[in-house]
Amino acid sequence: MRTPARIWSVVGFLILLHFGLHLSLGLGESAPDLLVVALLIAAREVNIGRGAGLGFFLGLLDDAFSVLAFGANAFALTLVGMGGARTRDLFVGDSLLFLGSYLMLGKWMRDFLHWVAVGSDLRESFVETMLIQSPVSAAYAGLIGLIVIAISGLGWETIR
Amino acid sequence: MPIYKSDTNGSRGFPGAFIAVGVFVLSVITLFLPDASQDEVASLLRGSLLRPFVLAQEGLVRRSIHAEDTEVLQRRLDSLEVVIANSNTLAEENTTLRSLLLLSNRIPAQYVAASVMRPGTPGSESMFMLDVGTERGVTDDSPVIMGQGLLGRVLEAQATSATAMDWTHPQFRASAMTVDGTVYGMVRAAPGRFREADRLLLNGVPFHQELGPGVTLVTSGLGGLYPRGIRIGVVIEESGSQEGWQRSYWLRPFVSPGEATHVNVLVGEEGEFRDANSWSEGGPQVQGPGAAPQELAPGTSDTEATTPR
Repeated sequence: MRTPARIWSVVGFLILLHFGLHLSLGLGESAPDLLVVALLIAAREVNIGRGAGLGFFLGLLDDAFSVLAFGANAFALTLVGMGGARTRDLFVGDSLLFLGSYLMLGKWMRDFLHWVAVGSDLRESFVETMLIQSPVSAAYAGLIGLIVIAISGLGWETIR
Repeated sequence: MPIYKSDTNGSRGFPGAFIAVGVFVLSVITLFLPDASQDEVASLLRGSLLRPFVLAQEGLVRRSIHAEDTEVLQRRLDSLEVVIANSNTLAEENTTLRSLLLLSNRIPAQYVAASVMRPGTPGSESMFMLDVGTERGVTDDSPVIMGQGLLGRVLEAQATSATAMDWTHPQFRASAMTVDGTVYGMVRAAPGRFREADRLLLNGVPFHQELGPGVTLVTSGLGGLYPRGIRIGVVIEESGSQEGWQRSYWLRPFVSPGEATHVNVLVGEEGEFRDANSWSEGGPQVQGPGAAPQELAPGTSDTEATTPR
């Protein structure tokens, strides 16, 4: 059953796990982007303002170690949080197809917005970054997100 | 327990939309904040909310270093002993020549050993953290050296930790010269198609001076950031791009940032090491992880830790 405690516990756990894997263990790209998964799950539960606020906060945490483009993660996750909250008005449903697409598109959009925000000096080629690397990491994050949703029993009946 | 219903007051309501626009504007402002303000915010987050994760990584890195194969460590020790043994005659000659020229003894450069931690978050590819800080003498811009090559420099030093960048950072610059000091130029990072393909580019070499493949480049000491004599890389080939009457060369760095787990940070009084004539002749002195900063009286030397050449 979806309860506020369960949803926010899962979101909090994903955030802690993200920094545990990326920062404490230093896994880098080997670990999935659980921050965006947590944000996308949370964004479906709150209004657009709170979605943006949560995205900005999580983005700032990710930016704390960015000397190349500080603020790029905050910018990207703010917009992803806003978009995630907005999907409640556009899409109603919890099918496997929808959730998988939602998580993967959210991650791809986060990478795209980050790619835009880092500036031309640091930007790598669009084809390699957005058409090769990002879809793979989006599929990775989407798969992990679906597994987390299914295991945690957040109420998406079609998955369980 | 009642069935949970999410916040369905509408995502487009006036307060929510107003807040969202405000946060979006804030995120854009964050993107264009001055570097100093960005550093302050980042430093605050690293030292507060993210501190437990950083401490966990420090502990794990220390454990992994301690668990390193003793045979590998023994081989490194043997290699160092050979280098020291071969340097004894050189040191004696150096001392004799200095006394003939009435030159005083060189003050040895001092280092602190540090462990490298990588954040692994987006945008942090060219930076790393060190588990030493101002309490051990590390300052902003202290050079970071690994093995016999330049890895990068400290960006910001806190009390017990420091943030540093490696040579793949787009803003990395180092004044370089050939070992014999005949050719000078400026080295900068040249990003490859992938991060693993990053290499260095030597610019500003006069057109009439040519460098062949395999020529070693070291820091020249010009600019006051890096002391003279730290090895940077070897020439691979001439770059296709020429600017006016200048040549450019691709360099293969001696140090690969991905391999950096344990480094040495050059420390000293404010600007002291930068005034040194040569890093390689300075007799580097490395302090162990647990050692307190030491001050050597002029003319004294610790034969176990100092390797005069």
